Amino acid sequence: MDYDEIEQEIGIMQLSDSFFPTGLFATSNGLEFMFSEKTIQDASDLIKIIQINITQQIGPTDCVALAEVFDAVEDNNFEKIIEVDNATFATKSIKEIRDASIRSGIQLIKCVTEFVKDNKILNQYQGNILENNVRGIFPVAFGICCNALKIKKEKSMAMMLYGFSVSVVGAALRLGLIQHFEGQKIIHKIKPIIAQTIQENANRTLSDMWQFAPQMDIVQMSHEKMDSKMFIT
Amino acid sequence: MTHIPRIGIGGPVGSGKSMLIERIVPMLAKKGYSLSIISNDVISKEDADRMRNNLATEKGLLPENLVIGIATGGCPHTAVREDPSMNLSVIEEMETKHSDLDLIIIESGGDNITTTFSPILADYFIYIIDVAGGDKYPRKGGLGIESCDLLVINKIDLANQIGADLEIMKRDAIKIRKGRPFEFINCKTDEGVTKVVEHIVHDVLFDTQPKSLVIK
Repeated sequence: MDYDEIEQEIGIMQLSDSFFPTGLFATSNGLEFMFSEKTIQDASDLIKIIQINITQQIGPTDCVALAEVFDAVEDNNFEKIIEVDNATFATKSIKEIRDASIRSGIQLIKCVTEFVKDNKILNQYQGNILENNVRGIFPVAFGICCNALKIKKEKSMAMMLYGFSVSVVGAALRLGLIQHFEGQKIIHKIKPIIAQTIQENANRTLSDMWQFAPQMDIVQMSHEKMDSKMFIT
Repeated sequence: MTHIPRIGIGGPVGSGKSMLIERIVPMLAKKGYSLSIISNDVISKEDADRMRNNLATEKGLLPENLVIGIATGGCPHTAVREDPSMNLSVIEEMETKHSDLDLIIIESGGDNITTTFSPILADYFIYIIDVAGGDKYPRKGGLGIESCDLLVINKIDLANQIGADLEIMKRDAIKIRKGRPFEFINCKTDEGVTKVVEHIVHDVLFDTQPKSLVIK
């Protein structure tokens, strides 16, 4: 039995656990607005929404950023990490989502540096956050933390996409859109979408980064302006 | 980064958390203390908007941008205890940009009697309940009532109307608090509120002068 591998697997569990403090439990990614406007009705609609988010937004942007971070760490290229941090920041056109991504990223780094003390890039990234040289955007911070915990690139991408899916499904559950068994069925149905997205984006570079989900952008902007809401957009 | 003292105020929905803040802020501001308010809300930003309007826009006691609303995704206790990331992040931004502040007040979203604040988030925890919930409230206990630094029992003016016995509440509070402080207040008339302010000045600010009055 490979005990090092078991330790890495536990690291995956730790960072993927909703108990891990990143503040993402408070986000719905626009779902709350669609729910209030009755443009989303049931579990099948929810799967489509998550699929659009994964394939059109997070996959080609955040996953690419995360992949680039892994390559940059391998090359010990911190300048590249700064470049990825800036490029990923520029893709977050919705202010609340942009702010939440930075706040979560910074808190993630702060938390992991509490128990990982000997990782050069992790420490360097935290130092650069404090000096305002990097923003600490979540996908970059997540890639650095996964790397520090010796989690492989593709598995880290799976964790990020899984975490996103769970946060949206969790929001749907709290809104009363679905019940708890449906939530798990949805997560199960999303697994191949996550796997496919990883396959498509794991080897893309920064110049291939893109996103196109204009209707989701409008929904998220509308959510941002809602007077009465439970979730950060 | 400067650590600015932080008070967490938690309590059930409608117990008077926002009202208490609206009462203590003018008293603290009158003493010269500079404050900021972070209002966690289960739904809507109404409390933050109201406090911003009343305390900042109308009375000018603090800048409007120092009253901040945080949506908690329906999990108020998570936002101040298990995963205070968003609150901490806002506080860190504030500590960087506004190191001249004397105090940050963090209001929890309305929650149940098990609410507590993460010790990394709040240096001092005030839990507020109200008489309208019945005189059994202190006796029932719960983490909030038992473990807070100061228990505040609000709306004492309603005791007669709802048949609550304040003496019973006092007896039970003494017993369950094991000698730790509690205060009866009425936010509508400010009765007892000065006592809460005294606790804050003494126990949180250690009777120090406001930063604005300290000669550098």
